[in-house]
Amino acid sequence: MRNKLFFQISISIGLLLSPITVISAEWYSGRGTGEGKASIIYSGDRELNEWHYIYKSNRRYKPGLAVWASPALAVVGGHPMAFIGGYDQTMHALDLVEKNVVWRKITNGEIQSAPAIAKVDGADVVFWGSADRTVYAYSAFSGRKLWTRELIEPSSTLGQIFISSPYIHGNNLYISCFAYDKSIPRNEQRGFLFCLDTKTGDIRFRLAVSTGILSDPVGFEIDGRQYIAVCARRGLLQCFDVNADMPNKVWEYQMPHEVLASPVVTVDTDPPMLYLGSKYGNFTAVNARNGKEVWQKMAGNWIDNSASIGEINGRKTVFVGSHDYCVYSFDAQTGNLNWKKPVGGEVFSTPTFFRVDGEPYICIASLDNHLYIIDAKNGIIFNSYFTGNPIWDKLPKGEYLWGSPASIEAGADTCIVYGSFNDMVYSIPIMKPCAITAMARSVKSLWISLLAVFLIFCGIIMPVVLKIPR
Amino acid sequence: MNITWLDKIENFLSGIFSNIKLVEKGLLGLEGSYVELLTVLSLGLLAVIPVLVPRKNRQFWRHVNQVFGIAIFIFVVFTCLGVFGMIRNFYRGLNEIGRENIIALYYCSVPVTILVTSMLFGPAFCGWICPTGALQEFMSVFTRKQTLEHKKNGYAFSYKLFVTAIFVAVVFLLWMYRLSVTRLFFIEDASIYWSEVLIILLFALVFRMPQWDLKLRRLRILSFAIIVVGAIMSLRITSPVHFGFAKVYDPASFLSTVIVALSALVIPMVWCRYLCPWRCAIAWAAKHTVRKIEFDESKCVKCLKCNDACLLDAVDQGIINVDECHMCFKCVDICPAQCFSLKDNWKKDEK
Repeated sequence: MRNKLFFQISISIGLLLSPITVISAEWYSGRGTGEGKASIIYSGDRELNEWHYIYKSNRRYKPGLAVWASPALAVVGGHPMAFIGGYDQTMHALDLVEKNVVWRKITNGEIQSAPAIAKVDGADVVFWGSADRTVYAYSAFSGRKLWTRELIEPSSTLGQIFISSPYIHGNNLYISCFAYDKSIPRNEQRGFLFCLDTKTGDIRFRLAVSTGILSDPVGFEIDGRQYIAVCARRGLLQCFDVNADMPNKVWEYQMPHEVLASPVVTVDTDPPMLYLGSKYGNFTAVNARNGKEVWQKMAGNWIDNSASIGEINGRKTVFVGSHDYCVYSFDAQTGNLNWKKPVGGEVFSTPTFFRVDGEPYICIASLDNHLYIIDAKNGIIFNSYFTGNPIWDKLPKGEYLWGSPASIEAGADTCIVYGSFNDMVYSIPIMKPCAITAMARSVKSLWISLLAVFLIFCGIIMPVVLKIPR
Repeated sequence: MNITWLDKIENFLSGIFSNIKLVEKGLLGLEGSYVELLTVLSLGLLAVIPVLVPRKNRQFWRHVNQVFGIAIFIFVVFTCLGVFGMIRNFYRGLNEIGRENIIALYYCSVPVTILVTSMLFGPAFCGWICPTGALQEFMSVFTRKQTLEHKKNGYAFSYKLFVTAIFVAVVFLLWMYRLSVTRLFFIEDASIYWSEVLIILLFALVFRMPQWDLKLRRLRILSFAIIVVGAIMSLRITSPVHFGFAKVYDPASFLSTVIVALSALVIPMVWCRYLCPWRCAIAWAAKHTVRKIEFDESKCVKCLKCNDACLLDAVDQGIINVDECHMCFKCVDICPAQCFSLKDNWKKDEK
């Protein structure tokens, strides 16, 4: 109670001190809305500059796991902030204007997914799940605890825990959690969908959805009714009507193969559709009303991560990356391929969709250790950034989801925020000079460099080598 | 959008390289298995084979060792045996000492094992294990008749080899054109410049081999220096054949590998002769080896079969240039008078 009072006071002070607080895009999930754009708008007058953030905690990373989960962004107290957790078991709240850490919260487990930021009693609250089986709710502004809730009872035989990114609608927070109890009497592998009260953390319902790992839940509204969709790792996509006290399964759809990603949804197509990719590269659009397949396309290799949905020339467009080195742009309604762009490595991230001066772009991360900014209209690469080698040399592909970039639309200050597997969190202003801009060559400069090597070798190196006496 | 047959080939290649590590993938899940150290074990075993095999059918066993070396490093363990990667990884391993000692050992183990075995058994890595060397040797079989004739003519200008060099250059330029319009190039892809230099050398040597051959072998030192500086500056430059070890489809490395292989049709072992940076270190270790090939001139019948057998021109009438020798034992095995013998000088003469 005291904590709550203190929390409310600190929020009130925060709001008083920050009269220009702007929440330009409502945040419901780790990737923003159900469309998964992971982009916010910042209209303040503070400048956003390049920042490389690193934090060396005493926690030891497990080899082979990614370092940072995806960030969630919000404008808090007038400043764009990034909330990012990782395998150091800590949630970091980063002020991207002042380039400092506002607060950190250590948990007792890895943070595998992006947090979500939503309003509770008018204040911005960060919600996240940790592999310590607990959901945390903290003030975005001050880092004061609102509540924490343990989802699964502890046991000495509990194995690995997978906990998703939260999805928030109204006063309800939906989150999935998979726990594997290895003991013989309690031998249980269950993936649960939870619904919690965002104000108190009380569990409203707990539903066993699968015997395996579950994706992030995604919510949508059709004809005034609320639905939550969640996909099991084995590819079973299920949709629940959550208007009553207990959810009611409406439909299910079996994906062709295993799924690591989470579905994204748009209700602006006819019918409303969910999009999801699977291993072996199937990319499927499912009718959100009845779970029937509307169209399916194939990429050349695995699709690990989620898609994102943007709007190009008035039409909904869905973007997704694949392990075949390519980013795809499909018409969300028909599934027609708009463009396909190969980059230098496997595309493992969800694209973030954003606009600069009205022009649409996406940003993706690739296993060639680069971030690519791509013109969303035609697939032309606008810029790329070198984000470092992985701290582990042997990242197992297709087994974990690594962090994806998020974006802040701010005109000339437009920024990408990305936690790379080289241990750094990068805030990259894409319209300004940047220290990590990749030394990628255009077609012309590539041929010029080959000519330069020819001239230097034939004109200087070879004559010198031949002249040196033995 | 039209998918061309070239797109299909590239997609196919990226598909087959995505999951070729057959053994390590399974073992990686076992925490604390230190499966990385399989590399040292494999390399150590492969390096001991030259000492163990009998003289009879030695060349057959050498080729088996080369094939086995390629297979184990492509399909089993994650260690770059690429000539650039070993230098870069060694530097990276040194930086990890005290932070992650197992990782440090993992990165340093390959170059250290190669240097140590080179000091013990001679530069047998080059002749018995190196995948780049094996690839060139296997390719040179196809034009062995022409290149041997070229050699016997004192490396006089040869139209056939000139045309082959043009073919290699055309392949490089067309492939570069294709890559330039389909992907971005980064500093990692700098191996294309080594390919370009290799092609320039082919043309230079087709015309001036007798005069320039030995002098141009100094380029290895420059190549070594560039890779060392690159490693210190944290520039990741992937070498030819790297794509085979790294489990990813790396088009620039793949192109470089193809160019190295095709160039070996014109001049056998051309990469090893003029550009291999790793050869500098191995040549240094080989000078201090305790296992040497000795030549008894009194038995020599001057048949020059040893000259003809050596793909590297490291043997001149029985005299072996240790800077160039790959310890393949071809000269030893082909000699009808058995002029060559292996000496293990484990104890230096005390004076």
